[in-house]
Amino acid sequence: MARLKNRFLARLTTRFPALAQRFIAAYQPQETEGAIPWVQPAVSLRQAKLALVTTSGIHHRNQLPFDMGDVDGDPSYRVLNGEELFYDFQITHDYYDHTDAEKDPNIIFPLDRLRELVSEGVLGRLAQTHYAFMGHIDGRHIATLLDKTAREVAERLKADEVDLVLLTPA
Amino acid sequence: MGLIQRAIERVGIATIGISIVRDYSEKVKPPRTVFLRWPFGHPLGEPGNVPQQRAVVLESLRALYQIKVPGTILDLPFRWRRETYADYQSPIEVDLQ
Repeated sequence: MARLKNRFLARLTTRFPALAQRFIAAYQPQETEGAIPWVQPAVSLRQAKLALVTTSGIHHRNQLPFDMGDVDGDPSYRVLNGEELFYDFQITHDYYDHTDAEKDPNIIFPLDRLRELVSEGVLGRLAQTHYAFMGHIDGRHIATLLDKTAREVAERLKADEVDLVLLTPA
Repeated sequence: MGLIQRAIERVGIATIGISIVRDYSEKVKPPRTVFLRWPFGHPLGEPGNVPQQRAVVLESLRALYQIKVPGTILDLPFRWRRETYADYQSPIEVDLQ
């Protein structure tokens, strides 16, 4: 029942942005203090290796869906194979209306656009591996995200020698 | 999303995030952000609208190279469903260093 209600609200807030503003006002992330992490891109765009990270809840069909039963969300992530997306994908995320993204996942995860830029020589190359989270992480799961899963993904990107990351929400 | 972005930048990888809720980005303070006042579920625009998606990707990559001040949120000039992108000049010509 709760999932149906969430999906219904997601459709309403996508169609009527004024309603979305009320949800935005109701959920306020914690203010982040201190220095903002910062590095300059190490190489030019045409030499760079880029990976995508998204909070849109997209994943392969054979992967465990995100846990939509927990009101605080699911801080886990899914490892995406860029060469197989979008031949098989599903979106597990009840907090936004993904009808349009099901039709064209590039609106949440612009893989085809990036492939075009690589073939045109504008972008160096795409990483084969990308990462998906679901947004809407709250309460106790924020600590898990900060201390474990976000850090793990960052280390994996580093190990993969990724130069640039583009992050997309939903 | 901003928290994940900060974690990635912290290991030494330059990042750019697309935001559709400016308020959240202002609070979480990711390193670099481009903002679009577009509906949930559509950070790169409408299904099948290739020129629109391309424009957002290219502007994001441009911002990744051109933003020099940590925490900057750049408002992209594209208005929801009011642009044709026919006149959009891609920043490809700009040598992104």
